Amino acid sequence: MNYALKVGVSALALSIASTAAYADDAFWKKAAEPYQDVTLHGVTESTPPSNYIREVLAPQFEELTGIRVDIETTSWDQMYDKAIKDMEVGTGIYDMVFIEQDIVYSYLSRNFLTDTTKLLADNPSLKAPTYSEDNFTTFADYFRGENGDLYGVPMEAFIKIYLYRTDLFNDPEIKEAFKAETGRELKPAKTHEEYGEIARFFTKWGKDHDMDLWGTTAQAHTGHPASFYEYFESIAPTYGVYNWGIDADNNYAATVEHGGKMNSPEAKKALKWWLSMRDIAPPESNASTWTEVGTTFGAGRVAQGLVYGENAGWIAADESKSLVVGKVGVALPPLEDGILEEVENGKGYIGYYDGGAFGIPSPSKNKEAAMLFLQYIGQDEVQPDWAVAAPRVTNKATYDDPKVQEMNKELGGYYDLLRDKGYLFAGAPAYPFHAQVREAVSPILYEILTGDLDPDTGLDQMAAKAEAELTDLGYRK
Amino acid sequence: MKKRNPILTTLFWILISLLTLFPIYWLFVISVKPAVQLFSTPDLILNNPYWGNYTEVLGNRLVRSYMINSLIISSGNALLCTVLGFFTCYALSRFDFKGKESIFFWTITNRMAPPAVFLLPLFLLMTQVYRIGEFTLLDTRIGMILVYCTFNLPFAIWTLRPTIDGIPKELDEAAYVDGASPWKVISEIVFPLCRPGLAVTLILTWVFAWNEYLLAATLTNFDARTLTTGLSEYVTTTGTEWGIMATISVFTLIPALIVFGLVQKHIVAGLTFGAVKG
Amino acid sequence: MRSNKLGWILLAPTLLILFFFGVLPFVYVVFVSFHQWNPFAASPEMIFNGADNFRRIVFDSAFLNSLGVTVAFVLFAVISEVIIGYMLAQAFMREFPGKAFFRTIHTLPLIMAPIIVGSVWKLMTTPSIGIIPHYLDKWFGISMNIGTSAPAAFFTIVVMDIWHWTPLVTLTLIAALVSLPRDPFEQAQIDGANKRQIFWHITLPMIAPALIATVFIRLMDALRTVDEVWMLTGGGPGSSTRFLGVHIFKEVFPKTNYGYGSTISVIVLYLTIVVCWLLYVSMLAPRNNRKG
Repeated sequence: MNYALKVGVSALALSIASTAAYADDAFWKKAAEPYQDVTLHGVTESTPPSNYIREVLAPQFEELTGIRVDIETTSWDQMYDKAIKDMEVGTGIYDMVFIEQDIVYSYLSRNFLTDTTKLLADNPSLKAPTYSEDNFTTFADYFRGENGDLYGVPMEAFIKIYLYRTDLFNDPEIKEAFKAETGRELKPAKTHEEYGEIARFFTKWGKDHDMDLWGTTAQAHTGHPASFYEYFESIAPTYGVYNWGIDADNNYAATVEHGGKMNSPEAKKALKWWLSMRDIAPPESNASTWTEVGTTFGAGRVAQGLVYGENAGWIAADESKSLVVGKVGVALPPLEDGILEEVENGKGYIGYYDGGAFGIPSPSKNKEAAMLFLQYIGQDEVQPDWAVAAPRVTNKATYDDPKVQEMNKELGGYYDLLRDKGYLFAGAPAYPFHAQVREAVSPILYEILTGDLDPDTGLDQMAAKAEAELTDLGYRK
Repeated sequence: MKKRNPILTTLFWILISLLTLFPIYWLFVISVKPAVQLFSTPDLILNNPYWGNYTEVLGNRLVRSYMINSLIISSGNALLCTVLGFFTCYALSRFDFKGKESIFFWTITNRMAPPAVFLLPLFLLMTQVYRIGEFTLLDTRIGMILVYCTFNLPFAIWTLRPTIDGIPKELDEAAYVDGASPWKVISEIVFPLCRPGLAVTLILTWVFAWNEYLLAATLTNFDARTLTTGLSEYVTTTGTEWGIMATISVFTLIPALIVFGLVQKHIVAGLTFGAVKG
Repeated sequence: MRSNKLGWILLAPTLLILFFFGVLPFVYVVFVSFHQWNPFAASPEMIFNGADNFRRIVFDSAFLNSLGVTVAFVLFAVISEVIIGYMLAQAFMREFPGKAFFRTIHTLPLIMAPIIVGSVWKLMTTPSIGIIPHYLDKWFGISMNIGTSAPAAFFTIVVMDIWHWTPLVTLTLIAALVSLPRDPFEQAQIDGANKRQIFWHITLPMIAPALIATVFIRLMDALRTVDEVWMLTGGGPGSSTRFLGVHIFKEVFPKTNYGYGSTISVIVLYLTIVVCWLLYVSMLAPRNNRKG
């Protein structure tokens, strides 16, 4: 099976496109009549779901409605910059922008986005019979404004999960050796202690058997925000430090002194544990972003690790990129005692629920036509093929589709986990200053990672720096 | 000069060439490896090349249009900068202005600007100010040709100045005495003598424009996107498509090689030029 | 002398283009540099704050660190490039079999885009699986990890830059050397001057303008290097390769700190101009005086 990125460049995708025919053709044709001269322009990050929009959904839509859709796909940092410049200046270049979950609060705080709920309410003739906000999973709630209206139509959603190698975990020789060494059965870890034990075991196993095998991944790049994200969004929450340890209700305090938790004992414990895992991870981990973590896992160099859901798809099933196809299982990340209960009771989260939506920038001159396209990609009907081409689920009904069920097996039950346990995960905290604080604090984290700072002092400095930056930005009074 | 052992000389050059070529060779190796092999233990020797990346890139309509944009923008810009640079240097060399050295120095300051922060004003100017009705310079080839002048024109002026200064003024004075027009002097006397310098300038401005990334990434969207910006489409959260990136990179080398090959002759021609003059 | 009018006509297009695409944006950057402006701050509009940004920069350790590593990088890279480039250019002045072929090969790195160079070197130096660390470890037992070792990352970038840009120096110096007249050299040899004397007293003064132009170009391009470093290390490990170009990039792109980012840019531009002006005056002026 060969997924995803191939879509971006293969003409094959277009043949899938032409087979789609829906009962509501009449609606689309009629609704699109006033916009025949319009060309919609969108900008998005180059991801498999976005490439699917560009290569499949946009041509389909054009064929159906006569409205042309041009999608610009570019890298992560370029995508932000271009969308922000356009909306800040009010140029109106783009009719649709990709809204990553972590930036939506920044955009909303600046009124960069169009209220799609209201737009549809004001223009009933635009409303497609097959589109409904009720179809979306709860992930859509991240793109609602304070009034509860939807500002973006979700197009991708993933959770960062605990991925492990089923072939290694079920190998009788390994199981025996593990039991002999630890007195415990080898199975996916529930706690950090267990996880560490397994990690150390496999790193040693790799060394003893002269294999390129280590016990854990680490997304610990020493010059890229990927390490910031792994620590604050995947590790710290499992120790009970949520929202980066910043208390929004308490004047955005970050230091323990002022009531924050960024340098709390839990945060320090979490960081030290993560560093100890990093030390027994493959040597490339210090130069690894989410990209390299995926490749490391796909190359069969690790036994277990925390991996972004968007990569789980190709690692588990794409033979052209992964050496561990069919040998991958998924589980919830390891936790400290009591965290699961805490999260079940509605406080905090255990990991990162990530993804993005398509929204209409306020300066757009073609809002109505763009709304038609957003509804088109938000329909239940287009979801299953999309999910198969680029593993992501944004609509409730998609889980039950036979094609998706089939794929769920290939992915080691990833979709089941997403559906049943997705509520334990959360997106980035609702901060309009996401990138600003991240960039201010990250350099200190990099120094901790290179060993120039010890973790305790480092976290103290990070918390102080976060507060200073928030004061500079005017959020902390 | 003492005679050198030809074998040693050749060995020396082979060694230097291997060092020079290795990263390019490695780029090629990456382009003919399937993704699944990229992160396993590396092997110096290439076996079983895989051409999948090439068929994918060749079949991609966007890459073709990026290639055309890149060719037009860099050729247009290189020609414009070389010609204007030549005029400017001729003016600076043969005319007496107040503060001409300051003008000369000032031109180069345009290349010193750290590009990141200039993107916002350029974006503003190109969308809001330099416009005729609906037409703006943003995302147009002509816009990029003009923007690239900010770093290529100073370069052209600075590399051409020594060349033109080196041409004896007596040559054009003599022509003027014979009644030639300024245009004739420039095109028939100075221009031919500058050919090697112009060739080097043309080639290098072309290469700078061909390889520029940051400005093109911000100031083009759909119609004028260049090959280098196309590369960034393959840097994604789900993994950088190294194979495809490398393949496109190999394709970016081909036109550059052709341009280089064409112009190199003129650099060689410079050898005879030096001899004649000497 | 012909009328200066013609001179101005020849200059006009250059001045106009540089004015509209160089000076006007610069004026805007200077204007912004006196403001506090981050579109995602609590107050997103531009707020005039006088010279506050400039006061702040003097004590900004991140900026000073970036300045320091940039200067170190520029010194290492540019000096090496000029020396190696000159030696290769001289070597190319001789006749030897396959010269045109070798010269073509030597210019190849130039035609690679910085972003591609950064990508290739990243793949070549990825800890443990890149080809360079792999064979360094296998053959010499040297461990090289650009993710943890600041010197490894720094010198990888220096070597990458030398590899990439030495051909530029060679090429421009070849162009300069081939157009030198032969008389002075022959005369000097007849007079019994040795190689070193010929270099210092004849070659160097004669190629000085071209050499200075080349050094300047390399100097300012090295000062604003972004693409390669961005691809290779992202500025890490820590801040050890966070050169000014990268630092400014991080300040204005992800951090959207347009106000302070502009201030840093203005200062960097100012420093560059001053350094180049001093170099220009000290190296070129005496020569002009002698001549004139």
